[in-house]
Amino acid sequence: MTLPFDLLMFAALIGAILLGYPVAFSIAGVAALFALAGWAAGAFDIGLMGALGQRVFGLLTNDVLIAIPLFVFMGVVLEKSRIAEDLLETMGRLFGRMRGGLGVSVILVGALLAASTGIVGATVVAMGMIALPTMLRNGYDPRLASGTVCTSGTLGQIIPPSTLLIILSDVMSNAYQQAQFAEGKFTIETISVGQIFAAALLPGLLLVAIYIAYGLIRAWLRPGDAPAMHESVVAPTRAEILQAVLPPILLIVAVLGAILGGIASPSEAASVGAVGAILMAGHRQGVAPALILAGAGALLLLALAAGLAPVRLQRSDAGLLEWTQGAAYAGLLAIGSIAIAAAVRQVFTAGMLMPALTGTMTITAMIFATILTASMFSLVFVGFGGEDRIAEILGLMPGGATGALIFSMALIFVLGFFLDFVEITVILLPLLAPALILMGHDPLWLAVLIAINLQTSFLTPPFGFSLFYLRGAAPPEITTGQIYAGVAPYIGLQVVGIALVGLIPWFATGLADWLY
Amino acid sequence: MLALADRLDDVNRAVGRIVQWSALAMVLLQFALVVLRYVFGLSYIFWNEAVLYLHAALFMLGAGYTFLVDAHVRVDIFYSRATPKRKAAIDCLGHVLFLTPALVLLLVYSWPSVRRSWSILEGPISVGGIPASFLLKSLIPAFCILLLIQGLARLMRDILRLRASDP
Repeated sequence: MTLPFDLLMFAALIGAILLGYPVAFSIAGVAALFALAGWAAGAFDIGLMGALGQRVFGLLTNDVLIAIPLFVFMGVVLEKSRIAEDLLETMGRLFGRMRGGLGVSVILVGALLAASTGIVGATVVAMGMIALPTMLRNGYDPRLASGTVCTSGTLGQIIPPSTLLIILSDVMSNAYQQAQFAEGKFTIETISVGQIFAAALLPGLLLVAIYIAYGLIRAWLRPGDAPAMHESVVAPTRAEILQAVLPPILLIVAVLGAILGGIASPSEAASVGAVGAILMAGHRQGVAPALILAGAGALLLLALAAGLAPVRLQRSDAGLLEWTQGAAYAGLLAIGSIAIAAAVRQVFTAGMLMPALTGTMTITAMIFATILTASMFSLVFVGFGGEDRIAEILGLMPGGATGALIFSMALIFVLGFFLDFVEITVILLPLLAPALILMGHDPLWLAVLIAINLQTSFLTPPFGFSLFYLRGAAPPEITTGQIYAGVAPYIGLQVVGIALVGLIPWFATGLADWLY
Repeated sequence: MLALADRLDDVNRAVGRIVQWSALAMVLLQFALVVLRYVFGLSYIFWNEAVLYLHAALFMLGAGYTFLVDAHVRVDIFYSRATPKRKAAIDCLGHVLFLTPALVLLLVYSWPSVRRSWSILEGPISVGGIPASFLLKSLIPAFCILLLIQGLARLMRDILRLRASDP
């Protein structure tokens, strides 16, 4: 009888990560040490490591994941161009005079930023620095205020487009194919990023509604916790609202619409979003508004042209008409390109381009290093027979398929206290998901349940990203205890959300079935 | 030792400074491809693969720089509360026990496929693509070496920190 290397390996992984060395390399290190130890003990075939090159090459050529750096770039540019600040300020003035209204405006801005930037850290920091002091000055309960800011910031993970959902779609699609293979099916179905986005959209909005309902009910039951603003503020004019809200909404509609409508691939849509973000940032940094408007207008016309009257220059029978039409479109493209170039130049001169590029590179490198090392880990873990062990444990759960699901969700929830969503998604899910799908759970529904669960991991102390970011950005009179107490009810609301989607799968599958 | 660590830092700083531009390049190139495809009905597998190359280069060559600026995420429940000396000790342990063996293993076991790819100057991923898959595969050893260089630089600094008398 040999040692249970697979179980030891999992325990070592948790221990190594908790040490505090960069997570990606801790994962890789545990994999390497166990591969060598297992080889020495004769429990592991080191020849399996020969698959590493092919695995990494598969990651390099995975074109679903190209959307990640593009969306990260879009988010970082929007963050640096301070669009969050404008939104918060306008929405605060719009809703502030209502009881509980400031809280509602924070949740709505969180949802908007979630759909446009999707960067949890940036959203929480911006709201913590701007909205939190306003809420406190106007007599909000510090716990409620910080809980609301923390939680609204995490919407970026569940409301598409989001990095979490892109990685999740890749993992779930593989798991689904694996499950179908195991069932002996010959025609294998896959899951696309668009399907996962469609599945997550309604549950994301459901969570927004739950938060708002909670805020309003609490303001009604305990008016002292969330009073109306007593500072005198000027209600924003319609033009101000349009100027703050319209550009991000247009961007979201364009990007999400193209993906959900099945028109463009996620990376294509993401590049459009990124260019839109550059234009918005250029406008904010003082490129002549006329130029930005002309450029954006020209590009919008091109988008219409693409839908209504595209030219097909590659066709052999393209005649004079096609070439004239093409020349007209090229003119529009030239105007758009000039505006884009002017915006890039202005953003560069304002000193925002370099930090945005560096930020995009480091965030992307961090995510992909984790994915890469996790594939090393799973190669070794599977080599020890860990996969069968997991299926065995899930099969032993009382209550059959439902029991296994509840156990898995509880496991993800508990691991979420310590680990980050990327690690859970790329290490644990490939092991859990195929077994769960084989038990008969719908993969899209499962993906959404997992996504909400992982979103919650941002809120659970001690290692919730959102808590860290707020700790850094919140005024010093807010204690860490108050932040923890503030998110506690919201963690409860997350469980309510999971339960609702769990009991009414339509939330996840309704839109996806209708679209696909 | 500090001077050598500085030189090693320079490697990744220089690489990072160049590679970060591929983020902008891939945004603009992908956008141009979208316009060409949907408005003009033109599509080019070669340029689509160029986006893929930029994307892969961004995170494979950027990983070393990310380590230089310590932007690889850590779970710092305990780490953030540790004294500077203890942090240096944890990092030393990590460099020697985790980072180095893992990357050496990855380097050794991916090497045959990279060498084979070079020996036949392996062609494009799909027909009409960039005929240089061997360059894409070379990103794997480059990733390992850039991270090992940065690991060495960090190890030297951490050893100095450990040796320093308590403040």
